[in-house]
Amino acid sequence: MAESAGYVAASAIRYNDDVVKKFVIATMFWGIVGMAVGVFIAAELAWPSLNFWPPYLNFGRIRPVHTSAVIFAFGGSALLGTSFHVVQRTCRARLFGGTALANFIFWGYQFFIVMAALSYVLGFSKSREYAEPEWHLDVWLVIVWVAYLIAFTGTVLRRTEPHIYVANWFYLSFIITIAMLVIVNNLAIPVSIYAAKSYSVFSGAQDALVQWWYGHNAVGFFLTVPFLGMMYYFIPKAANRPIYSYRLSIVHFWSLIFIYIWAGPHHLHWTALPDWTQTVGEAFSVMLWMPSWGGMINGLMTLSGAWDKLRTDPGLRFSVTSVGFYGMATFEGPVMSVRTVNALSHYTDWGIGHVHSGSLGWVAMISFGAIYYLVPNLWGRSGLYSHRLAAWHYWISTLGIVLYISAMWVAGIMEGLMWRAYDTQGFLQYSFIESINAVHPLFIIRWLGGVFFLAGILIMAYNLIMTVRSPRTAARATDISGLPLPAVGD
Amino acid sequence: MNDEEKFSALVIGALMAVFALIGLMLASHALDVEMSIFGWSLAAFALVFLFGLIRRHFDQEAAAKNEEVRRHG
Repeated sequence: MAESAGYVAASAIRYNDDVVKKFVIATMFWGIVGMAVGVFIAAELAWPSLNFWPPYLNFGRIRPVHTSAVIFAFGGSALLGTSFHVVQRTCRARLFGGTALANFIFWGYQFFIVMAALSYVLGFSKSREYAEPEWHLDVWLVIVWVAYLIAFTGTVLRRTEPHIYVANWFYLSFIITIAMLVIVNNLAIPVSIYAAKSYSVFSGAQDALVQWWYGHNAVGFFLTVPFLGMMYYFIPKAANRPIYSYRLSIVHFWSLIFIYIWAGPHHLHWTALPDWTQTVGEAFSVMLWMPSWGGMINGLMTLSGAWDKLRTDPGLRFSVTSVGFYGMATFEGPVMSVRTVNALSHYTDWGIGHVHSGSLGWVAMISFGAIYYLVPNLWGRSGLYSHRLAAWHYWISTLGIVLYISAMWVAGIMEGLMWRAYDTQGFLQYSFIESINAVHPLFIIRWLGGVFFLAGILIMAYNLIMTVRSPRTAARATDISGLPLPAVGD
Repeated sequence: MNDEEKFSALVIGALMAVFALIGLMLASHALDVEMSIFGWSLAAFALVFLFGLIRRHFDQEAAAKNEEVRRHG
């Protein structure tokens, strides 16, 4: 009785789903754009003559377009959209700040993405990994981000649900930490307030350390923590099961965010960075394995008793596979952070393979799972247009990832071994160009993997458009969704 | 339109006016092509957003009137 009364109360709240829908559309749009650019730059690496129309289509200018489009545009839109969906449902409160604030966050964020991409193509870049936008764009991003923090925190504060569901902790830590990282890493002095060029306030090894403190935590607090929040909402919802262990979710949340922030120096092994700092980075990276796998175990075990749903729910299949890739990537990361391993892997394509097993396998697939769940629900449809197309998407994407990461593993290890090989007289055995020639076939396989993944998201886009438009998925009464489920195992 | 919606539109609208002015200022003094493009784009973005706010205000007012007519004839 009390539960049904709660359902009535929840249904009386008019959630702001409009902004969530916009972010879902943006996620799909930027996913296609970002992955298409990725396929193009992979082709540029395999066939250098594709670097035509210099300097605008040079690899150096297009590469940050790809990384920003997939990380901040595709991933960011997925995160902002799902966070607004999750926080409203689990707090049983309409999004704080009204429609104007929500629209400002959406359009302001899209404006940032377009302006950043344009500036890269024009040759304006701070040359900081994952933080290429010049100072004026950083200022704009901070304004939008503060608006996002206000909307999210305001919703949490005015919740009618006494408990703050764990997914919101993950999203909130993402919002706060990204703000801190972006502000500190991008501290710079412009040559003029009317010029786009600026210079970092840091220099030398300190600059490198700040840059990788940001860079690694962009992976941690942009590509890991909030996507775990996504996992903690959408897997229990799709599986219709409570989280395996709520206690584990809290323990691994706090340990994850405490440990992650120290791991950045592992990107600077064997450099001018002090030895002890490198050791700190390595030690914390290895420790990171435990909380990472805590999340993986919690996600997978939530399926206990519901594994059969993997046969019938294509979205859940994506989500669960993504958790598997998450486990794999978070095992590989600590291994690569060990200095002796890093001596072989650093600067090689192994790093590219590692990043893509995380970004394609974890980030993209958990997002696909959430979107397959969201679209029929948000647009009030009876279900997906085609489960067969979703299955095609799943298998072609998985095959694409496997081709991509295995090619990069082989290429990376080959490069590492060739670069360190000496002949009997102590000279390097191979020139750099010989290592490039050696990995050329693997670059083509990597490109093919990207084509497969891109084909998958195009199939998904068609399937989702038809889900919204086709009479086959006729509208149904909106159901009561989004209520948090109690945990078992505690 | 409740108080929160009104206040939100007012604050965001005021901010947009400021952003439009900043955009024009950056564009007019720009020392490079990037700042020029950013300044003009910021001004255009803010203006379009402001028009959107105004349109939504009148749309909601018209919808409220229609609802009133539907209820009371």
